[in-house]
Amino acid sequence: MNKKLHAIYIGLFIFVGVTSTLLLAIDGYQYYTTPLVNRFFNPQDSLLNPSGLIGHGLGIVGSLMMIVGVAIYMIRKRVRAFLHWGYLKNWLELHIFLCTLGPIFVLFHTAFKFGGIVAVSFWSMTAVVLSGVIGRFIYVQIPRTIQGQMIGIEELNGINQQLSKRLREEFSVNENLISKIEEASRFAKPQKENLRNSISFMLKDSIRIRRILKNIKKESKAASVPSKEIREIQNTAKSKMILARRVRLLSTMQRFFRHWHIVHLPFAILMFFIMFIHIAVAIVFGYRWIF
Amino acid sequence: MEIKTRIIGKYFSAFLLFLFSATKVFAQISPGNLTYYHAKYEGLSNCTLCHVLGKQIENSRCLSCHTEINSLISQDKGYHASPEVKNKDCWSCHGEHHGRDFRIINFNPKEFDHEVTGFKLDGKHSRIDCIECHRSKFISNPELKERKSTYLGLDKNCITCHEDPHQNTLGTNCSSCHNTEKFKPAANFDHNKTNFILTGAHEKVECSKCHITEKRNRQDFQKFVGLQFSNCTPCHRDVHQKKFGENCKKCHTDVSFKLIKTNSFDHDLTNYPLRGLHVEVSCKNCHGKDLNSRPKHDECVDCHRDYHKGQFTKNNIVTDCSKCHTVEGFKLTTYTIEMHNKTEFELTGSHLAVSCKSCHYAVDSWQFEKIGLKCIDCHKNVHGTELTNQFLPDNKCTVCHSIEGWQKISFDHDKTKFKLLGKHLTVECRACHYTKTHGGLSEGLRRRLAKARSCGEESIFRSLNSDCETCHKDVHYGQFAKGKITDCQRCHGFENWTTTTFDHNRTSFHLTGAHKKLGCVKCHKVVTVNGNTFVKYKLENFKCESCHSS
Repeated sequence: MNKKLHAIYIGLFIFVGVTSTLLLAIDGYQYYTTPLVNRFFNPQDSLLNPSGLIGHGLGIVGSLMMIVGVAIYMIRKRVRAFLHWGYLKNWLELHIFLCTLGPIFVLFHTAFKFGGIVAVSFWSMTAVVLSGVIGRFIYVQIPRTIQGQMIGIEELNGINQQLSKRLREEFSVNENLISKIEEASRFAKPQKENLRNSISFMLKDSIRIRRILKNIKKESKAASVPSKEIREIQNTAKSKMILARRVRLLSTMQRFFRHWHIVHLPFAILMFFIMFIHIAVAIVFGYRWIF
Repeated sequence: MEIKTRIIGKYFSAFLLFLFSATKVFAQISPGNLTYYHAKYEGLSNCTLCHVLGKQIENSRCLSCHTEINSLISQDKGYHASPEVKNKDCWSCHGEHHGRDFRIINFNPKEFDHEVTGFKLDGKHSRIDCIECHRSKFISNPELKERKSTYLGLDKNCITCHEDPHQNTLGTNCSSCHNTEKFKPAANFDHNKTNFILTGAHEKVECSKCHITEKRNRQDFQKFVGLQFSNCTPCHRDVHQKKFGENCKKCHTDVSFKLIKTNSFDHDLTNYPLRGLHVEVSCKNCHGKDLNSRPKHDECVDCHRDYHKGQFTKNNIVTDCSKCHTVEGFKLTTYTIEMHNKTEFELTGSHLAVSCKSCHYAVDSWQFEKIGLKCIDCHKNVHGTELTNQFLPDNKCTVCHSIEGWQKISFDHDKTKFKLLGKHLTVECRACHYTKTHGGLSEGLRRRLAKARSCGEESIFRSLNSDCETCHKDVHYGQFAKGKITDCQRCHGFENWTTTTFDHNRTSFHLTGAHKKLGCVKCHKVVTVNGNTFVKYKLENFKCESCHSS
């Protein structure tokens, strides 16, 4: 998948996700903001309540999206036969899309009414989604190949040198600035940090990178470097500095990622477990939507 | 690292267990709390109380508990039996699992159309609060009565909520008389649909006058049924004390007790049967305008004015009119001559033929008292001063006249200075005394009579001189007068004018010789002097040549 196709791929996800969410939110705003005890009397209740035509449909579609989203990603990731079915990154993006929009649909299915055993499922789902977001963040912090395989520290060092070379050779950056960038992206040994220190470091490092990038822009402008080139210098410098940060936090993030798995998957299992109970109960009691 | 992972895994497993246990305790499969009313049915084991597996919810489940609603539906009564509700699912109106405080009965009194319950709210019902009727004390069903708030259990009968002031004497269909606006007056009540149609004054009389309020069961009770109205006396006092029977309508109308059916009223039943002109008299004349007068009727004056103004009242005792009058008419009198003859003035003679009015009516009224017994009290003294007390003593006409007739006179003329002799005895009185007599009267008498007539006198007596010339004409034109008086008796007698006592020899010319044989006219020629033609008896001289020619 080339870059443009990927952009359409992602853009489509975002468009569908945002549009669906907005439409549901806008259309149901009046209903969903009605106090629970009064919703029954709302004219939209027959459509939007969890057993309503739309509400029930959202539950079914959302559940299916989550089931599909989890299933295809796990299958792609864990079944050997599918290891070469596209880039794992793209499957992950599909997984994220389906497992983001699915819970949103389920959220509207619940009509923001959280109670009973299914609430456990819901909150599990919420936990899965939130942990997914966090996991995605941690996942990004760990440099990988496009196939999703982790990159070692030596390889990272090579990438860093390539970036330095590019700065020197491709752009007209003065030595002073290069030395500042090099200083800021100096490879440190991966260190074991706890969660608090890691977050603190990341925040401080982000501020530092922003300051340096600002400085690069300022000096490049002073040196009459074209704007386009300035942006490329900034991007290269940023990649270099972020790479350095990730190297420093690599072992920490790898450790967090292992722990994250412990949370993300059981919540997903719990969610599905209760969700199936919920679906089974609904079907047993005759709530079969349009079927 | 792996050890820590395991530790975290343990904690997480514990967390999951907690979630499961919490699920059992707090969270259920139920999608939400049941309402307060159904809260006792919370729990997994109770789902199928309402839900039917595979069929969501069926009304039969609801109605198996809510038997009161089921009963109403099967009886086709109440709101749930109305067309707009009957075929709906219970849950479409009565949702559940929306929390304890959910209004499972979403009832808005202001928007609710009560008519669908089969009981349309109108009149005052449309303005009062629901709770005024929908309250426990009006519900008879013990189970419903115990409910804190329910709209069930009321019957459409008015007495469900309202007290029956008629104490079940008028049935339960209150609306046949009352509307829902006001209990009083009973707007729908039409008395004319009862067995007693209101007419006349009954239309205006207050209900309470006939339908009296009494105490029954220690409560005020206005009686509307069981009233006796076959006749009037159950309500009206019989002022006649059954004297005229029990059928008041025979004489009275219901417009007014005082308005009598004069055509049908039999006055003969009273103490005063109507006779004569009384039959024709309007009732009002005796019984007043409103016929409420009960006049005395012992004496005529109880009703009638004493026309005679007390003339027959003596010692405060009124002589009743009926002594002289009858009810056939006032002008007709039963007073007889015999009765009159028992008075001080006995009617005899012409008085028998005279109308009462002639004596008893003066000017413009009847007079019976002190009209006098003398002739002069009634009769005019036509003689005026011509008759002296000698001939009209104490104005007693009967001295000359008779009661039998005025013309019948019994007068002794000899008692006067002029004794009637000869022809005078046969002459009518009027020939000399009547002022309107003309023929053969002397000039002087004619003047005298004319004067008397002018004074209104018809006859003259005292002023009539006894001289012949007063009545007789001096045909000799004063030839024999001595002074101014001619004494006819010197020559004529009363028997006959022609018979004379004249002796020619007692005159200055004695008849002798041939004179004795001569007719008077040979010497006493007819002459005309001053237009008067007469025989001239008084000759101026007796010379022969005066009569004899040479």
